Amino acid sequence: MKIKQKVYFSNAVLIALIVLIGTFSLHDLNQILTKFRFTVIADELNASFLAMRLAEKNYLLYGDPDTLEEIEDILETSAASMDEVKADIIRAVGHDNYQQLKANLDEYQHSVEATRREATQAAGRKNRRDTLVRLRLAGRHLKEFSESITAMERERVGGIIAQSKTILLYSFLGVVFFALLFTYLIVANIGQSLRKVVELTEAIAKGNYGKEPVRILPNEMGAVIEAVNTMAGELQNREKEILQSKRLASIGILVTGVAHELNNPLNNISMIAQTYMEVYDNLEREQRIDFMQRVEEETERLRVIIKNLLDFSRPKEKHLVENEVNNVIQKTISLVQNMLNVSNIKLRLDFADNLPTVYIDEHQVQQVLVNITTNAIQAMGNTGRLTIVTRYLAGEDEVEIEIRDTGKGIEPKFMDHIFDPFFTTKEEGGTGLGLWVSYGIIRNHGGNLRVESSADVGTAFFVTLPSCKSVKECCNGKA
Amino acid sequence: MAKHSIMIIDDEKIVGDMARLSLEQEGYEVETYLDGRTALDRLVEKPFQVVVTDLKMKGVDGLEVLRTVKKLYPQTVVIMITAFANLDVAIEALRDDVHDFFPKPVKLKELKASIQRALGSGAAG
Repeated sequence: MKIKQKVYFSNAVLIALIVLIGTFSLHDLNQILTKFRFTVIADELNASFLAMRLAEKNYLLYGDPDTLEEIEDILETSAASMDEVKADIIRAVGHDNYQQLKANLDEYQHSVEATRREATQAAGRKNRRDTLVRLRLAGRHLKEFSESITAMERERVGGIIAQSKTILLYSFLGVVFFALLFTYLIVANIGQSLRKVVELTEAIAKGNYGKEPVRILPNEMGAVIEAVNTMAGELQNREKEILQSKRLASIGILVTGVAHELNNPLNNISMIAQTYMEVYDNLEREQRIDFMQRVEEETERLRVIIKNLLDFSRPKEKHLVENEVNNVIQKTISLVQNMLNVSNIKLRLDFADNLPTVYIDEHQVQQVLVNITTNAIQAMGNTGRLTIVTRYLAGEDEVEIEIRDTGKGIEPKFMDHIFDPFFTTKEEGGTGLGLWVSYGIIRNHGGNLRVESSADVGTAFFVTLPSCKSVKECCNGKA
Repeated sequence: MAKHSIMIIDDEKIVGDMARLSLEQEGYEVETYLDGRTALDRLVEKPFQVVVTDLKMKGVDGLEVLRTVKKLYPQTVVIMITAFANLDVAIEALRDDVHDFFPKPVKLKELKASIQRALGSGAAG
């Protein structure tokens, strides 16, 4: 269900609850009003009945026939007003009670009439006493019944009010409970969806564009997640395009570099040949041999360039074995120790214990380390400190080698190019292939080579290699 | 007639060596340099009629050599050679009054013809 629908649904339920409570309350109020109206009528009737009974008492005491007339007048008025508000009385006390009251009233009227008749006919004393007893009885019945239903109705009003109070209290608690429940459910739902979005965007931020098999939620957040997924896909495409154009750009740099590098020895050979032909007659035998030797040297130069290019493009020739990084570094140091001594450079080693093994071509990795340390030594000149640190990166399951020098640093404008083929800042003797080849070797090992540098402080190269157990072939080899 | 003096600057030693052999045979006086800085130091001491310079060099490059030479000796002919046959650089160089432009591999005959033309027109002017 969509969040919008959930909100609508919960609101509808709450509104229905409130309407229901309202209806019940209105019904109760109406009932109270009806009963109240009846008690007003009943009070009037009771007052009338009281007056009748007083007149009746006066008649009994003084035998004044006018009092009987008075009673009849009151009876008439009461009967008339009862007829007038019959509907209200029936609604309040029911049809049976009304009839009963009416019957009591009639009976009383009959008793009054009988009494009057006997008074005028001068009936026997006994008869007269019986009639008077009946009159008093009927009068009492009428009054008692009237008072009892009035009392009953008052009690009922009290009951209805108490019931209404209870219903209102529980309804209120019910509404509050449902409102809290719905709010919680909706908020929890949104929170859960937002967490999914956060997870997804974090994955994208880490460069994991592969659309995670996120179960698409059937609500608005599902649409958001889908949009983020689409965006991730687009980002992946863009990254591929950027990678492709970077690759093309580096191929361009490579081709330009290769053209330039090959052009120089080619030009040299060409010029030697042209000059050789021009001055051939004037040359001694040794000079001619010297010419050819220089041709040979230039071809050797070409051969080295081509070999370096092939080293980079032929990664499959590496001979991988399980090895320890610290061990490889120690062997590398023995190769460059002499350079360090000559240049008066201090060496500081900080090896981590219990490093996981790596799956590498020792020779190639040594080549990289020699390359970087040689660069470092050259950057420092005749004094400085070379620091080599190894550490385990648990998060990536990689071993990192940090090689830090205290040299002149790399100019910021060169930072983007130091791994480019044929890029060199060395005044002489640099082929511009060392770091490029190193980068290729480390990448072919599934690792990474990066650099940090600040002018006059020094440069640090970071070589990371995946641990042996994270390499499938290595595990297979051990199994 | 005094010998025409030619300076050759290229960080490839063979270029200077070979051009010198070839040009000396034609009767020119040739000096060769492996970098722009040393060459410019020498130019301050002594003017040359022709300067043949490589474009791309570490430190002082061919364009800087060209500008300095033209400032010191506007009459001096500058010929540019380079392993990069880059047209943009060529146009910039030509605008700065380069006599000729040779991509590597250089044909010595063409280079010598260009030098002869330059000296001829220079003599005429």
